[in-house]
Amino acid sequence: MTKIITTIAFFVCSLLSAQSQFEQGMGKAFQLWGQGKNSEASDMFERISAAEKTSWLPNYYVALINTTAAFQTKDKEQINLLLAKAQKALDFEMVKNPNNAELLVVQAMIHTAWIAFDPMTNGQKLSGKVMELYAKAQAIAPENPRVIFEKAEFEIGAAKFWGTDTKPMCAQIEKAIGLFATFKPETAFSPTWGLDRATVAAANCK
Amino acid sequence: MKIIFILSIFLITTSLFSQTNISGKVIDEKGKAVSGVNVFIEGTYDGSSSAEDGSFSFETSTTGNQILVASFLVFETLKTKIDVSNFQNIILKLKDNVNALDAVVITAGTFESGGKAKVSVLKPLDIVTTAGSAGNIIAALQTLPGTQNVGEDGRLFVRGGEANETQTFVDGIRVSQPYGASAQNVPTRGRFSPFLFDGISFSTGGYSAEYGEALSSVLLLNTKNEVDFNKTEISVMTVGLGLGNTQKWDKSSLSVNGSYINLAPYQYIVKQNVDWNSPFQSLSGETVYRYNFTNGILKVYAAFDSSKFDINQENINSPNKIRVNLNNNNFYFNTSYKGVFGKNWQLVSGISYGNSQNKIKVDLDDIANAENAAHFKFKVRKNLSNRIKMSFGADYFITKFGEDISSNSGTLNSIGYNSNIAAVFAESDIFFSKKLAAKVGVRFLHNDLLEESAFSPRISLAYKVAKNSQVSLAYGDFSQTPNSDYIKYSKFYEFESEKASHYILNYQFSKNGKTLIAEAYYKAYNNLVKYNTPSIQYNSDFNNDGFGFAKGLDIFWRDSESIKNLEYWISYSYIDSERNYKNFPTQATPNFIANHSLSLVTKYWIGSWKSQIGFTNSFSTARPYNNPNELEFMNGKTKAYNNLSFNWAYLLSQQKILYFSVSNVLGTQNVYGYDYAKNPNSNGVYNRSAVTPAADRFFFVGFFWTLSANKKDNQLKNL
Repeated sequence: MTKIITTIAFFVCSLLSAQSQFEQGMGKAFQLWGQGKNSEASDMFERISAAEKTSWLPNYYVALINTTAAFQTKDKEQINLLLAKAQKALDFEMVKNPNNAELLVVQAMIHTAWIAFDPMTNGQKLSGKVMELYAKAQAIAPENPRVIFEKAEFEIGAAKFWGTDTKPMCAQIEKAIGLFATFKPETAFSPTWGLDRATVAAANCK
Repeated sequence: MKIIFILSIFLITTSLFSQTNISGKVIDEKGKAVSGVNVFIEGTYDGSSSAEDGSFSFETSTTGNQILVASFLVFETLKTKIDVSNFQNIILKLKDNVNALDAVVITAGTFESGGKAKVSVLKPLDIVTTAGSAGNIIAALQTLPGTQNVGEDGRLFVRGGEANETQTFVDGIRVSQPYGASAQNVPTRGRFSPFLFDGISFSTGGYSAEYGEALSSVLLLNTKNEVDFNKTEISVMTVGLGLGNTQKWDKSSLSVNGSYINLAPYQYIVKQNVDWNSPFQSLSGETVYRYNFTNGILKVYAAFDSSKFDINQENINSPNKIRVNLNNNNFYFNTSYKGVFGKNWQLVSGISYGNSQNKIKVDLDDIANAENAAHFKFKVRKNLSNRIKMSFGADYFITKFGEDISSNSGTLNSIGYNSNIAAVFAESDIFFSKKLAAKVGVRFLHNDLLEESAFSPRISLAYKVAKNSQVSLAYGDFSQTPNSDYIKYSKFYEFESEKASHYILNYQFSKNGKTLIAEAYYKAYNNLVKYNTPSIQYNSDFNNDGFGFAKGLDIFWRDSESIKNLEYWISYSYIDSERNYKNFPTQATPNFIANHSLSLVTKYWIGSWKSQIGFTNSFSTARPYNNPNELEFMNGKTKAYNNLSFNWAYLLSQQKILYFSVSNVLGTQNVYGYDYAKNPNSNGVYNRSAVTPAADRFFFVGFFWTLSANKKDNQLKNL
């Protein structure tokens, strides 16, 4: 009897401690990211992903951090490295989860970063794919504010170029802002980002 | 009970809190500190990123033997077995990842297109946005160094080689008839519509052992692996109509396109130097089907093309023009599978079949010929390690050619041949370091028709001399069956393969959107076919005693950064080449070779006009020709050649494009060479006629419209 209880107690404790370890690790990684320590944060997420094969979140954040960093970098070699790292992490999860809207959004963002890297070569090749990815993400998660916002932002770029009306996209951004308010993340670490950027974009619309 | 419970919690928590320090430093192969390396214990969260000085330090709760991982993209991931209790101040040495983007690449002799970030000489869009190319892949490649501008022919002439010395491959499988049918001195064009391909690799020498039956060059075209979405494309042009449709499903996609070309309206507007009875017309269609398996992709490509024209050609040997009427039907089918299996194995295999039928009426004679050609191929590739890749495979080529000539006098001559060639090849890529790499290969073939076997070694080396530049060397032996104009007479003479050796020294520099390639080469030809009659005929006295050489320097410069919205490239080629082949009495420079060629291609994007404007200027110095009125063979020189082309693509809206192009804007009267009479006139002089373009200018106006749910796609890539 004591043996059984001990085993159960041991099992429960290890589960609890594992759970808290994941939470602790993720928490620390977010903290590093919040401090602007992108590569440390990415490394931390990478370590978590190597230990926790069941959660798609650590790799998702590795991809997201590096893609976001690529948009803020001017050095072409660095962009190359960041996007390669992002793509590698994302590929791990895309194979397991090809219909995860959040992953699709990051894939579209990676392609968008490549378009910015060399518009002449990659614009024609990837802009169709970006639109396809957003369309797929929207079909899967029509109420996801990041899908709506990122799609609208990509379309605004094209509309500005053509001098066509940006009103429909601006309406979509407003819709996304509304959805951010009601969006309920599945877990404490599920993606919730985007509201601040959407607010800036909405201000630019006016 | 309670005690045990508390004890167990206590045990677990203590095990959690008993921490050991792990510390050390990360360096690269040269001993330099590496920062930003993720160092951690496998399976745990314990780790840290290395600092500026390469040092790292972290606490771990694990005990005993563990695996320490050090990972950073441009290095190979290092996994070390460690004893946690005893791992302080240890040096970790990372090896360069030779597959990283900044590693050396073997490039001698190759111009690549494709890839998102690698050095791309030609970008996919270039084929269609280069002024003067008019959507012809071949014409765009003629703006690269190492090619000769042979306007009366239209095919690729590479580094002193004849046009048939270049072989074309689609998805690694040979295309037996890559060019459209044509008459003498009427230029042909590539058969393939450029928008089906997303990778083009053009090798002007020293290429891989995977490819054979090409003395000078290989052109590798890879069809797209995937399409974006369903769409319909409509084109209305001054030269014809086109219609295309693409359907995409979950795992597969199908593209079909067809076009009808009729040059009558153009020939009506622009004065022609040739007398057309019936204009050039063609009806063609292409289809690509792709299916994605879990571990591979299957592609099926088929193309059909039927073309005809009827002209009266001036001929120096006859007072009246000679009527040439040509009908060509061509069918090409190619299926290939590319996939991975087992551990690090890759398989590429495929089959192609080509059928070309010509019906030609020359004056009162009828010529009908048919070629059936097939190619079977498989190749496997294995990554033995990160640094050594092995590939090997086999090829089988079958060619059947038959020709019937029924002359006006009622005689019928039938000739033909069957050729079977079997070949095996093996090659390995070896990276000695991130800076030094080699590719070593051999090819062995047996040719049934010629009853001979040949062994061809190929080797190339590349060394990265500095961060942005590298030097490559290549050597290779190449052999090719003599072209069908000769071997159709193999009933009468046992031919041998023609042979060439290439020696190449290449320098490449690339930085921030600027690329410089300089390549010096020497090519030795031997075993070339010779004959002793004015033209090739069954009773010519053939031998394989011909020889020759070509040497030269090719320079390419591309810059897309220095001036905003402008992309341009400059190609310069110098060549010195002589041969003693065909019916040459002595060694001389063949008539398709100009010593100096210079091309300048510019593309300028004007945002406010939503237009891309491009200019291409091609210049080459005089080409030799033989003047029978003079004693010395091939003593004549034409005047220099120049052609300035212009194009303008105007984007009416995202899905509608208006396109305008004109070649030879300046109206330069170019002369490609001269045809001399077979016999002298009454004064003992051989008369001549100049070989000139069919028209001085070519105009093209087209409207391209894409219909799809996605409003962003357009046909800019088709132009």
